[in-house]
Amino acid sequence: MEALHTFSEWLSRTAFSELIQTTNGAIAMIQVVHILCLSTLFSCALLLALRFMGRGLVSDTLQQLAARLAPLIWKLLLVLLITGLLLITAEPERTITNLAFYVKVVMLTLVSLLTLWLAASARRGLTSPSPLHMAAAACMILLWGGIIVAGRLIAYTQSY
Amino acid sequence: MNSFFEWLQTSALGVAVSEVWFPYLESIHVIALALVFGTIVIVDTRLIGWTSRHLRFTYLSERLLPWTWGAFIVAVLTGSALFTSNPEGYAGNGPFVTKMLLLLLAGLNMLYFHKVTYREVAAWDAGEPPRAARLAGMSSLAIWVLIVTLGRWIGFTI
Repeated sequence: MEALHTFSEWLSRTAFSELIQTTNGAIAMIQVVHILCLSTLFSCALLLALRFMGRGLVSDTLQQLAARLAPLIWKLLLVLLITGLLLITAEPERTITNLAFYVKVVMLTLVSLLTLWLAASARRGLTSPSPLHMAAAACMILLWGGIIVAGRLIAYTQSY
Repeated sequence: MNSFFEWLQTSALGVAVSEVWFPYLESIHVIALALVFGTIVIVDTRLIGWTSRHLRFTYLSERLLPWTWGAFIVAVLTGSALFTSNPEGYAGNGPFVTKMLLLLLAGLNMLYFHKVTYREVAAWDAGEPPRAARLAGMSSLAIWVLIVTLGRWIGFTI
């Protein structure tokens, strides 16, 4: 824990961190981009998950829908990671030593793996999703919801 | 108005939200708003002609708008509960008041679209939407981006 504090103190004193901290409205704007991307990604993931459950945009095959949505999901995830890293750099004490942040990171890793597996299954031409696929799709949505909650709770959770 | 706000803030709901429920209600509010914004982005970008052009507009909107409306109701309920924690503070907060006005504008934009442009949807349902529809989609997208931006700004200014 001491090493994390030392690292976060060092990071907050770097020129780049100070630049973000002292630029008027920078942190708020980065957060807004983060939220807009997360919201769009959440809805794209919902459409994909619903299709695995035989609902939503059923006129598209799973393969067609995954081919359209998966690249967008990965691009949005990339923007989320970049804006997330910028926010960590700007306010390391708020995140690096905060339990809610690590819960968010674990859920983000899990949801990325689930999305990767579901998108790959769909691209291989899966036509009848198994109960396991459907459960994974449901977990994907629950995890995105959890990620949003954990992200918000960072502001309310005591840093160690 | 001030005495109403005072009553609201000291009511059992206002006290409970302020002392216990605020973070949880805010989390649900953010999930709901994320769903509202995300589904609107998908519908609006189809309306503008940027995405899902192989799908009929009515097909896409019929499948997504129930989610938008469901999430919007949750956002309104949780937002109202959050308001009770500090009614005077929110009512006097510039970003909050602007957000409310933009929500009204989003509603009017949608109403105009449904009463005027949508009446001839059969003519453009499967193809390129007309200029009025594209304009409605762009306006809606811009308004909702501002709503989310102001929502975040409230946290920095209240």
